[in-house]
Amino acid sequence: MTVQQVLFIVISLVVLGAALFVVTTRNLFRAALMMMLAFFGIAGLFVLLEIGLFAVAQVLIYIGAISILVIFAVMLTRGMQGMVPRNSQAVGAAVTAAIIFAVLLLILGPLRVTIDLARWPVISLFAGNASPREVGGIAWTPADRAIPPVPETYIADFGRALVDLNQYLLPFLLIAFLVDVVLAGAIFIARQRRPAEVIEERRLRAEEDAEEAEAMRRASASPALPEGAVASAVDH
Amino acid sequence: MQNVLNGIPLWWYLVVSSALFCIGLYGTLARKNAIALLMGVELMLNAANINLLAFWRYLAPDTAGGLAFAAFVLVVAAAEAAVGLALVISVYRTTRSIDPETLDQMKL
Repeated sequence: MTVQQVLFIVISLVVLGAALFVVTTRNLFRAALMMMLAFFGIAGLFVLLEIGLFAVAQVLIYIGAISILVIFAVMLTRGMQGMVPRNSQAVGAAVTAAIIFAVLLLILGPLRVTIDLARWPVISLFAGNASPREVGGIAWTPADRAIPPVPETYIADFGRALVDLNQYLLPFLLIAFLVDVVLAGAIFIARQRRPAEVIEERRLRAEEDAEEAEAMRRASASPALPEGAVASAVDH
Repeated sequence: MQNVLNGIPLWWYLVVSSALFCIGLYGTLARKNAIALLMGVELMLNAANINLLAFWRYLAPDTAGGLAFAAFVLVVAAAEAAVGLALVISVYRTTRSIDPETLDQMKL
C-alpha cells in the first residue's frame, strides 16, 4: 500500500460517511455542516488527482459559497427543524438508489482492470470502425502506456481554451449569461414584497381559512366533537 | 499498465463517485424537506465532477475538455443552489412549510 492509496481510502470513507449522514440526519444544520465535510473530502480527492486548481475552486465555491447559502436557508426556515426526515417513498427511494448503484458497478465490472476506450461500450458504439484514438479528435492516453504528468501550464491552457473560438468560447459565454440571469432571478424570487402586496395576500389567505373552517364546522356538526379540537384546527 | 496513478487505479474513483451519486439520489428522492433535497442534488453534482476530473487526469491530461466541463458543472451547481434556495425561502414565506409533499397548490 502506498501513502496515496491509504489517503484515498481514508478520504473516500470520510466523504461517503459524511454524505450518508447528510441524507439521514434529522437536524438540518448538522446535515449542512456534514455536507461541508464531504466537500472538503472531495477537494482532497482532487489533490490526489493532482488538480490543485479544482481543489481550490471546490473549497472556494462549494464550501465558501454554496454551503453558506444552504446554512442561511436552514436558519431562515427555522420552524422546519426536527420533523421526520423521510417521506412516504423512502423505501422505494432506497431500493432505486441501490439498484442504480448495482447497475453502475456492473458497467464498471469489465473495465476494472484496464480502462481502454476500445472496450468502453458507449465510445465504441459512436466510433464505429474508427480507431478509438480518433474519437472526438483527442489524443487519449492508451491503457498500455504510463499516464503522463499534468502539464505545468495546465491552468494557462485551460484559460486559453475557455476564450478560444475553436474550443469553449461559446459554452463559456452561455454559462456566463446563465449565471447572470439566474442570480437576477434568484433576487427577484426571494425579494421582500411591498407591504400592499403582503396585505392583499394575507386577506386572500384569511378568506380561504374562513371558508375552510366553515366547511369543517359543517362536517363536524352532527358527531359531537370537543369544542377545543375544532378551535385548534381553525387556529392552525 | 492498468490506468494507475500513484498506485490508485481509475476504477477506485469511479466506485466512490457512483456510491456518492446514489447516496445523493436517495437524499433527493426520500427527504421531507426541500433544503435537504437540494443538498442531495449538490452531492450528485459533486459525484459527476469527480468522474469528469478522474477521466480527464487518467485519459486525456493534455487537453482542456475535462477541466472545462467540470468548471461548467461547478457554475451550474452554484446557479442551481441560488435559485433553489430563493424558491425555498419564497415558498416558506407564503405557506410556512417547505415539505415538497404538501406543496400541491399548482395541482389541478
